[in-house]
Amino acid sequence: MDISVTLFGGLRHYLPAGSSFNKCKIDVDEGSSLAALLQKIPVPPDKPYMVILNDEKVASDQFDEINIQADDEVVLLPPIKGG
Amino acid sequence: MAWQQNILRVNLSKGSCDFEPLNMDWANAYLGSRGLGSKYLYEEMDPAVDALSTENKIIFATGPLTGTMASTSGRYTVVTKGALTGAIACSNSGGKFGGELKNAGYDMLIIEGKSDKPVYLHIEDDKVEICDAGDIWGKTVWETEDILAAKYGDPLMRFAGIGQAGETRCRYACVVNDKHRAAGRSGVGAVMGSKNLKTIAVRGTVGTPAASKEVYHKINEINARMNDREGMARDGTLAMMDVTNGFGSLPTRNNRSVRFEGANKLNPEAMHTPNPDGHTNIVTNGACFGCTIGCGRICKIDPNHWSVKDRPEYQGASGGLEYETAYALGAACGVDDIDAATFAGFICNEYGMDPISLGGSIAAAMELFDIGAIDESTTGGIKLEFGNAEALCQISELAGKGEGFGADIAMGSKRLCEKYGHPDLSMTVKGQEFAAYDGRSMQGMGLAYATSNRGACHLRADPYEHDFDTTEIAGKAQVVAESQRLVAFMDSSGLCLFPAGCGWGTEDYCELVDLVCEGDWNTEARMVETGERIWNLEKLFNLKAGLGKKDDTLPKRILEEPADVGTGKGLVCRLDEMLPEYYAINGWDAEGVPTRDTLNRLGID
Ligand code: SF4
Repeated sequence: MDISVTLFGGLRHYLPAGSSFNKCKIDVDEGSSLAALLQKIPVPPDKPYMVILNDEKVASDQFDEINIQADDEVVLLPPIKGG
Repeated sequence: MAWQQNILRVNLSKGSCDFEPLNMDWANAYLGSRGLGSKYLYEEMDPAVDALSTENKIIFATGPLTGTMASTSGRYTVVTKGALTGAIACSNSGGKFGGELKNAGYDMLIIEGKSDKPVYLHIEDDKVEICDAGDIWGKTVWETEDILAAKYGDPLMRFAGIGQAGETRCRYACVVNDKHRAAGRSGVGAVMGSKNLKTIAVRGTVGTPAASKEVYHKINEINARMNDREGMARDGTLAMMDVTNGFGSLPTRNNRSVRFEGANKLNPEAMHTPNPDGHTNIVTNGACFGCTIGCGRICKIDPNHWSVKDRPEYQGASGGLEYETAYALGAACGVDDIDAATFAGFICNEYGMDPISLGGSIAAAMELFDIGAIDESTTGGIKLEFGNAEALCQISELAGKGEGFGADIAMGSKRLCEKYGHPDLSMTVKGQEFAAYDGRSMQGMGLAYATSNRGACHLRADPYEHDFDTTEIAGKAQVVAESQRLVAFMDSSGLCLFPAGCGWGTEDYCELVDLVCEGDWNTEARMVETGERIWNLEKLFNLKAGLGKKDDTLPKRILEEPADVGTGKGLVCRLDEMLPEYYAINGWDAEGVPTRDTLNRLGID
């Protein structure tokens, strides 16, 4: 199933080719965990981000616990300072 | 050493312009710019004077690195008692004015007294004159700059001045330099206006001294360490909009909500994507003097948009929406029209108003309108409803001119909400409107707002990483107190804060300061102590001005109404739990007053 993933700020740089401005679709098997989905997004491991799943922030220790559903919306936000 | 060791002191009452040496003992203790300007103000003026009185002084202070080849070295600070807050005001600006002032041979410009008629200051190196401003009084910032640029015929002359908002004492009038860079906050432009000083025109050919060729090369080596600038150049600070909206900390409709359904019409994607007319809001990015980041947004309003349709003067490219402007003139007012918000931003630059306080004041008025405390008979027929983009543009222009209901908006939301009987609807601290972060989902920011010496401000502390990590309050007081010191140091260097998000660490600031100042500045201990000394001095100024613990607080909404959505859903700001710890960390007593031991440790008399 294709999951909609949005990458904001500098993370946009790592969108797969053919993505729109900041969105891509990531194909995962049904029943996959959020961790499995995140592994498929080509953001280098040294680039930290926070994950918003359906408008709620998800703590990193929950990534393995949560199973992704077909209509889920995943957003990755980079750490950023104010301005 | 990059100091000119020279101050220009202008007394507008006497009509005198004098040079005096920079107090190097104070520079060694308070560094420069924000810190050193505050020291001069604290020593020379009674903090209890009325901000708009002749007794208030206004200081334009550069830092040791201003005007050097260090990246982002165009910064200067306007230090005075704020017309909006009655607290110390230190408003930082970039552009090219600060570097030009330094290159003209001055570390600092101190303005005192009041002229009995409108004047402007003309500085070309050591030639300084107070000139009649009769023909530019009443003009906008843009017109003033064009008239004087044509008069002097020097394309490198730089200007820092006020528009009609400063002349009419709009409480959040700012000082605008280079047409769209501003010492924005706390009403420093109203102070300038109260002195009948329209603008400062400066041209410098003296240059800023660098110690040696080795220093020059070393600075360039440090510049090259700033290796993560791409995102900031492409999206500017506006990148934050998606982060706060996703997280649930984007203040919306006067903080009734923390998420704005129209954020995707104001974010970087909206700015970069052509509209159905084929018009793209952003034209290019822009940079201040010596900056290798270039976070500025240079934007154009769609010429077919109703706001500028028959107004070609607004159809050119100028300073566009940064994150704070997009929040204040967008989400805070429930407006999702990027062209309208850009137009209101242009009006701020043209008339000389702080867009954060303008947007916050309009948002408060929209809530007053919504609950029926004011109506169209009050607003002069303007339907001041949340989301009404035309009303936003109309009222912005009126506020800039101080006309009609715009004169009420120009009072700032605190005075406005008091006037109409609902003081709790003012989203302010010490009378200054919130920046673009909600203090419920970002508890550290709540504490930072409450304790900021210049009133609510997002640039006096750096709780971002901690706040985006957790809403638990453990550790927040420490993060806020420590980062307030670091930011005070960085602000006083003459550099911008943004390199710290683009690859530099605080150690790079220390190393740069060390390269251009005498003595050993390349230690974390000195950086922290200097920042702490500045923070305490600002606090003492405020205490003497009559502000105290009662002013280190937040609006009732943030303390009692839980956030409606997002990461902080259900939370209020737990300020009462964080504040005592914060005072203790600072070495202040339970009333928030620095103890004698603390002041002795910092060498403050
Ligand atoms: S980073 Fe932005 S605000 Fe800072 S100096 Fe550069 S252009 Fe100016």
